[in-house]
Amino acid sequence: MKPPPFAYHAPQSVEEALPLLAEEASVLAGGQSLVPLLNLRLARPEAVVDLGGVAELDYIDAREGPLRIGAMTRQATLERSEPVSRGWPLLRKAVRHVGHPQIRSRGTVGGSVAHADPAAELPAALIALGARFHLRSAGGERTVDASEFFLGPLYTVREPDELLVEIEVPEQPDGTGSGFAEHARTHGDFATAGAAAAICPSRARIALFGAGPVPARAEAAERAVAEGAAPREAAALAAEEIDDEHRRALCAELARRAIEEAMR
Amino acid sequence: MNLVGRPVPRREDERILRGRTRYLDDIDPPGAAHVAFVRSPFAHARIASVAVPDDLDGVFAVITAADLERVGDLPVQGIEGGEVSAEGHPVLARDEVRYAGQPVAAVLAESRALAEDAAELVEVDYEPLDPVLDARSSEVTMSRWHKVAGDVDGAFASAAHVVRATHALARLAPVPMEPRGAIASYDQAEDQLTVWVSAQDSHRQLAGLAKVLDRPEESIHVIVPDVGGAFGSKGAPAPETMLVAAAALATGRTVKWAEDREENFVASYQGRGVEADVELALDEDGRMLALRARMWADLGGYLMPTTAIPTHTTAMLMCGVYDIRAADVEIVGRRTNKVPTGPYRGAGRPEAAYFVECTVDVAARELGIDPLELRRRNLIRDLPYETALGWTYDSGDYARCLDAAVELVRPERHSDDERVVGTGFGMYVERAGGQFETAEAELLPDGRVLVRSGSSPHGQGHDTTFAQLAAERLGVGIDDVELRFGDSREVPRGVGTFASRSVAMGGSAVVQAVGALKEKCDAVAGGRSMSLREIAEAEPGLRASARFESDLVFSSGAYGAVVEIERATGRLRVLRLAAVDDAGTIVNPLLAEGQVIGGTAQGLGQCLVEQAAYDEEGNPTFASFVGYSLLTAAEMPPVVTAFVESASPLNPLGAKGIGEGGSIGTPGAVANAVADALGGVRIDPPFTEDKLWRALR
Amino acid sequence: MRIAVEINGSAYEGEVEPRTLLSDFIRHGAGLTGTKVGCEQGVCGACTVQLDGEPVRSCLMLAVQANGRSLRTVEGLSPDGEFHPLQRAFHEAHALQCGFCTPGFLMSMEAFLREHPDPDDEEVREALAGNLCRCTGYLGIIEAVEHAAREMREGR
Repeated sequence: MKPPPFAYHAPQSVEEALPLLAEEASVLAGGQSLVPLLNLRLARPEAVVDLGGVAELDYIDAREGPLRIGAMTRQATLERSEPVSRGWPLLRKAVRHVGHPQIRSRGTVGGSVAHADPAAELPAALIALGARFHLRSAGGERTVDASEFFLGPLYTVREPDELLVEIEVPEQPDGTGSGFAEHARTHGDFATAGAAAAICPSRARIALFGAGPVPARAEAAERAVAEGAAPREAAALAAEEIDDEHRRALCAELARRAIEEAMR
Repeated sequence: MNLVGRPVPRREDERILRGRTRYLDDIDPPGAAHVAFVRSPFAHARIASVAVPDDLDGVFAVITAADLERVGDLPVQGIEGGEVSAEGHPVLARDEVRYAGQPVAAVLAESRALAEDAAELVEVDYEPLDPVLDARSSEVTMSRWHKVAGDVDGAFASAAHVVRATHALARLAPVPMEPRGAIASYDQAEDQLTVWVSAQDSHRQLAGLAKVLDRPEESIHVIVPDVGGAFGSKGAPAPETMLVAAAALATGRTVKWAEDREENFVASYQGRGVEADVELALDEDGRMLALRARMWADLGGYLMPTTAIPTHTTAMLMCGVYDIRAADVEIVGRRTNKVPTGPYRGAGRPEAAYFVECTVDVAARELGIDPLELRRRNLIRDLPYETALGWTYDSGDYARCLDAAVELVRPERHSDDERVVGTGFGMYVERAGGQFETAEAELLPDGRVLVRSGSSPHGQGHDTTFAQLAAERLGVGIDDVELRFGDSREVPRGVGTFASRSVAMGGSAVVQAVGALKEKCDAVAGGRSMSLREIAEAEPGLRASARFESDLVFSSGAYGAVVEIERATGRLRVLRLAAVDDAGTIVNPLLAEGQVIGGTAQGLGQCLVEQAAYDEEGNPTFASFVGYSLLTAAEMPPVVTAFVESASPLNPLGAKGIGEGGSIGTPGAVANAVADALGGVRIDPPFTEDKLWRALR
Repeated sequence: MRIAVEINGSAYEGEVEPRTLLSDFIRHGAGLTGTKVGCEQGVCGACTVQLDGEPVRSCLMLAVQANGRSLRTVEGLSPDGEFHPLQRAFHEAHALQCGFCTPGFLMSMEAFLREHPDPDDEEVREALAGNLCRCTGYLGIIEAVEHAAREMREGR
């Protein structure tokens, strides 16, 4: 399967990139989601804007305060980052479940967020961590909370002329435990469902993915945990709204594992 | 020099490990026209018209059925004792398409990418029709086989117990890592057509091309390059291969088709797809008196050359390893609007083993007899044994295989709040070999021996195995034997590699040819002590050939599985598998074990994750790896293997076939283990979590 | 567009379209057919090569993205002729049959063992999950990787 023809641009900076963005242009970050779609001819953009040369978007900054991740940071870089491992272990747990090492060599954090596959691990983990996404366009900038960013499968609030430039993750309160569980048919396959949890004595954040059209916080479960409910009870609340019985049981089980791990 | 029976590592490996292989797509003829097919998006439709735009960028030609009037449809092979429709698969669809993915037109262009661009612009006017997607309810029968042996009605009437069960094995995609492909080149001056094809042998490709293109066989040269797996799917010639050759003849260009993965999923013929209603009559001691089976095979839209053959095999093996003297077995092959089925690793034997072994466990539960005990009361113990259905099992020790499987798998059964664990067994007997195979042996000037074989490897390691056989027969080192395969001008016309036949048939032919050569060499030496090089100097050009013919040989085995089902999610984990196979004499145990494990992985794939399903409109849901999963290394359980070697009396090696046992024995064992864990609830594969979770509630 | 790529230490140049996949450039542009193509959707791993030492799926890269970069393919795994311990281990453990998937496994596992010289069995199996094999059933491959890891730790 060969891609249909497209024009190709390789900007070297965000400023060069912004005017190239448009409805009919696809952004090429890591390519691990876009290129299969091109090869299968399911994506037929007029132009591809390759961000591979935009070095200014490849960074992990944990020097002080929140974690700032440039959108073009490779998933493998996130996986190997010491500061991330120490301060935001949930991110490391989640990224290790993304595909396979060969995917993570190229796939980017920003690409995963912008692509918004409902089965993706990083969006859910970022929601559980209370992340914010910084978008830029030729017309300005704005910041969107992760929990408000995802609108539907492969569909986000990002406008065609906007670029996701940074993922900002707030510092987590002391004693925050993290838990992550997912289920897939085979190892590294797209997840059927999963749960990400960041829990500390004063606050619980639990996000499910694969349970609905978008990754979302399970607020009833979060309240239950904060009120001292057992993980199993809270997990049942997390999956409550799921129609299919088996899927509900599966999501509840995954939520339970993530909550228990975070509470250890 | 004792080489037979030794685990000799493969001579083939060096080239592969260094990346020096040449599979079909590695061949890059300069200036070739690349093919992309226009394929039907509909499961069933009439074709009203096909319009090809002018001025397509980079395109040399667009071929439709209208251009192929002198090209025939693919032939159809019959089945012994049964009826098979003669209507074969057209090279390109004429006025009807019967499955999504069926080739309708072919674009030849400067590159595959340009060919795909142009293929999208060809306008086909389809008039969609309702698809038929179920074999039982389809009204079109394409094949039928029915046999009644013994007093079946009487046995059922007098039986103390009659057990009834229905089973099904869903369609599977073979998914070799290398998709299909062909390159054709026509030399007009010499009227010679050369075709490279990723295939299981050159012989069937050659015969098919000659027939379909209506050309004398001597004018066609088929070359099989390195082949990246086939598992049955590259045996019968493909319509696309015929098109590539016809296009080369028509345009005078070299034409290349390298199938991509999407095409391979939707258009390469599939395996399994059979349902069975089985009835077993037993006396009060659990002795099996008679078996009835009514089976429906979902054959797809057309008969490919070998589509009906697995159905015959399934039917003939429905008494399994048991001494059942009366049987009434019918299998009908029905047309559905899906891609055709054909031989896929096991090719009818997994179906038979599955249907029989599941029924035996159902019977055991209904009669209150331990499933192992029920088997032991009914195993055939005296071989050779002629079955009620007509085949003669040449040799075997079924009881010993079963005992070994029980010991190796270490049965386990327990249940708690979190999980249930069960154990199950599945036995099998399967046909291998048969027909004939050829070999030629030639003494080279330097004293080495060149052996040309009609067998055709695609991963099995024939180069090493046959070299072991030849070297031992000649009394030389393995490096003194060279093998040649796959080129129709280089090897004698033979049958090829499928149905686990290569060691039994190809190996025997090699041994015979080499033996005959040795006799000639000994005659030249006349009692003197001469090296082969000296003999070659004394009498250059010594050669001998052999054509080894044999009835079918019958491999058998017993598989055991221990499985665990997690209550919370329904997740199935196979904890361990024991594979005991009797393939007669084992020439290379390292390679034989590799075949067993590989086959087992495919059997496990069927049990855990694989299913080629169509939606209600007949669209394939498996057009990519998103819709069709293969197991990875992370899912493979520990597998303990063992070989029982009941030598076959039917060939000089005593060998049978080991290539397919893993895929034949595994599904029954796992299904029975799952049923054991579920307290008797029967489910057909794939054993998906939601099926298991619901069954546990 | 004209690109220049270093592969196994040698320079390769060629004319490509933006849509040309790196796998096709390696195989048909540079003529290095050791790297195979099994799916063009990034699942089977047959096309795995190393980009600056990192394993990547060449079917999911555009050739233009490799411009000015350095690649290693299976042909570059044993440049002076001696087998790499992985190649030797694959051979001894019968970890290959048809061989189509083998280059991809070698390039994935060479990178993995460089970063994880002492993996346990589960780590090996998970690392292998990014490459599909339809012939061997994987057990020989697992054995080969574990054996190669031991050999490499012992400096052989």
